[in-house]
Amino acid sequence: MTSDVKIPDPLELERAEEARLRSAAGLAPAARTGGEYSGFESVGLPDRPPETEREQELYTLDEGEMLVNMGPQHPSTHGVMRLVVKVRGEVVIDIDPVLGYLHRGIEKLCENATYTTVMTYVDPMDYLASMHNEHAPAIAFEKLFGIKAPKRAEYIRALVVELNRVFSHSLMMGFLALDMGGITPILYSFINRDEVVDLLSAISGQRMLFNFFRVGGVNFDANDEFFSRLGTWRANVVKTIDMSERVITDNEVFRARTIGMGVLSGKDAIALGVSGPNLRASGVPFDVRKAHPYSIYPELEFEVITHAAGDSNARYLQRIAEIKQSIHLIDQIVDKMPHGPVQAQVPGIIRPKPGRAYGAVESPRGLYSVYAVSDGGPNPYRFRMRDPSFISLQAIPKLMPGHLIADTMAVMASFDPVMGGVDK
Amino acid sequence: MDLGALLLGVGRFLLSTTLILLLTVPTAFVVIQMELKIIAGSQLRYGPNRIGPWGMFQSTIHGFKVLAKEDHIPDQADRATFTLAPWMVYMAAAMSMLVIPFAPGAIAADFNIGIVYFFAVLGLSVVGLLIAGWASYNKYSLLGGLRSAAQMVSYEIPLTLSVVGAVVLAGTLNFRELIEWQRAHGWMLLWQPVGLGIFYIASLAEINRTPFDMVEADSELVAGPFTEYSGMRFGFFFFAEYLALFIMSGVMISLFFGGWLAPWPFPAELGGFLGTVYGVFWFFIKTYIFVAVAVLLRATLVRVRVDQLMGAAWKVLLPLAMINLLVTAAAVVVFNL
Repeated sequence: MTSDVKIPDPLELERAEEARLRSAAGLAPAARTGGEYSGFESVGLPDRPPETEREQELYTLDEGEMLVNMGPQHPSTHGVMRLVVKVRGEVVIDIDPVLGYLHRGIEKLCENATYTTVMTYVDPMDYLASMHNEHAPAIAFEKLFGIKAPKRAEYIRALVVELNRVFSHSLMMGFLALDMGGITPILYSFINRDEVVDLLSAISGQRMLFNFFRVGGVNFDANDEFFSRLGTWRANVVKTIDMSERVITDNEVFRARTIGMGVLSGKDAIALGVSGPNLRASGVPFDVRKAHPYSIYPELEFEVITHAAGDSNARYLQRIAEIKQSIHLIDQIVDKMPHGPVQAQVPGIIRPKPGRAYGAVESPRGLYSVYAVSDGGPNPYRFRMRDPSFISLQAIPKLMPGHLIADTMAVMASFDPVMGGVDK
Repeated sequence: MDLGALLLGVGRFLLSTTLILLLTVPTAFVVIQMELKIIAGSQLRYGPNRIGPWGMFQSTIHGFKVLAKEDHIPDQADRATFTLAPWMVYMAAAMSMLVIPFAPGAIAADFNIGIVYFFAVLGLSVVGLLIAGWASYNKYSLLGGLRSAAQMVSYEIPLTLSVVGAVVLAGTLNFRELIEWQRAHGWMLLWQPVGLGIFYIASLAEINRTPFDMVEADSELVAGPFTEYSGMRFGFFFFAEYLALFIMSGVMISLFFGGWLAPWPFPAELGGFLGTVYGVFWFFIKTYIFVAVAVLLRATLVRVRVDQLMGAAWKVLLPLAMINLLVTAAAVVVFNL
């Protein structure tokens, strides 16, 4: 009885459905060369006619040109980014980043959450700068609610944020080398990161998604374990950073691969909206901590470091200089840290008056900001985030044409994008 | 020629090729194990330490693992050439091992143009890589295959030219005679330092080792020509790569570091079986030192770019090799060496 039943091939069903939809839409049948996988020629091509002039231009191939689809599963696209690269031999003619493979709708999730629980959702955005992710909404919500965090809370915030910046930048050094084929620096970077992450887990209880900031303060006061670990870390950090830097910085091959690669002029960087270390490496002295001071940064002494060259090497050196500057800031913060409470008096469910607020911080990847609108309810009416890596990625299609495929990855790594933040 | 001599010759050939083929597998295992352990050390890791004492059998387990993996051929791939390519690459490496002088009396094929044979056969692997890149029906593979063709063909010229100086000095193309010459005149390293430098750089490029691993540039081309390969087919590429590292180191010490000769002159004449064992001992010590150096380079350096690589071959190494050859030849004529 059952032996007569023929189980249809799901792939065939899918194709039949596609053919039906195509004929209904008045499109030509999809080109199939047969077999389980679609053809070599069509890899990277969208399965529909071009919708914009830009698409038309990108997907029209001249003689000798080829589309190479890099990602979303590629060893060095920093997560799940997809690059459609048009090449002539090894030379990149055009490049189109395709985003959205890690989209989780975090902004919408935040709009459905209460003001206090938003902090848990923003953590996994830019997962190498979770403390910064929490800092910007904390600033915005405090403005909205009209409260101020206690002085000690602000110091602890600045401390953990600078620690986070150190590990984020130190990872960038490793990833940049990894994308050029150096396999050792990334391990050193992770050792450096692990020490900082242990520190942060001593104060927040978690290693990666800290959930540490609160509206009007922080979750825990700095404890003895934290300070004792901080002392040990501070005693060795300059030496360890120097050690891992020595593998890369003066390496002749590394210099040949980075100097003069992906030069972004200051004017272009401003026009594209690039911010943070990438902007400062192009010679523009813009740092949110100086330009629009927040938290306790006006009380601290530091300079805005810039590099003039604007190439991959300058972006790399910029990060190293900023690691050293962050260590200098951490010294000052620990020195000046006052005693007192770490959490202001805040009701269990926060209902701000209707209004709007904007909080911006200098994240390791640039200007990270949050714009929140309240309608008087317990959750934000609108919640929008500006993620710096998303903006930095805009520079890639502008810089890459004329370079080689090998440099695409190296230049992209020098911008240090984190796809968790790009796709939100 | 009588039948006895013919049978003896055939038997000798079969025995030596079988021994060489059997030797390739443990050699690749040892080189892979060294790579795992040395890179782990330079990255402040333990490295493999579970299978066997000090993780000694990790690479053996890797070898058996690839045997157990699914062997998958893409639908669109050209099946005949796709299956042929790993064999070509592996056989190029294994066949070039025939002339490697392990010790006096331990050379599988000791014939008068061994050096020419070696470079000719090793160059065949580029055909395999190019075929793999083309047959895979994958754009990364294609780019990787073309890169391998460009890179290996360019580097073969300075590689071969760098050796010609040594050949002119010793007046022989036979590995055994070249080593005997070094016993009398001191290691070739002292006579041909420039040739050694060119040979070392070009040999790294020829066998696709970091910093010249353009072909399998994992951060750009995923795995180059090997992208679509799986199971033992991939295993053969993998074996051939590590085998080539061993062979190149072996040839380099034979050409420039006295081959099986001990670093000191005694015992001057150690004949028979004992001499063979003593020679094999020194051959392996020296070869694995240079394998370790190549592994340390991989742990330290980043990859050069494809145009920088080609520029170095044609603009720097080739003229240098030419000048080296010219100076050597002139010296041989003038001083009647």
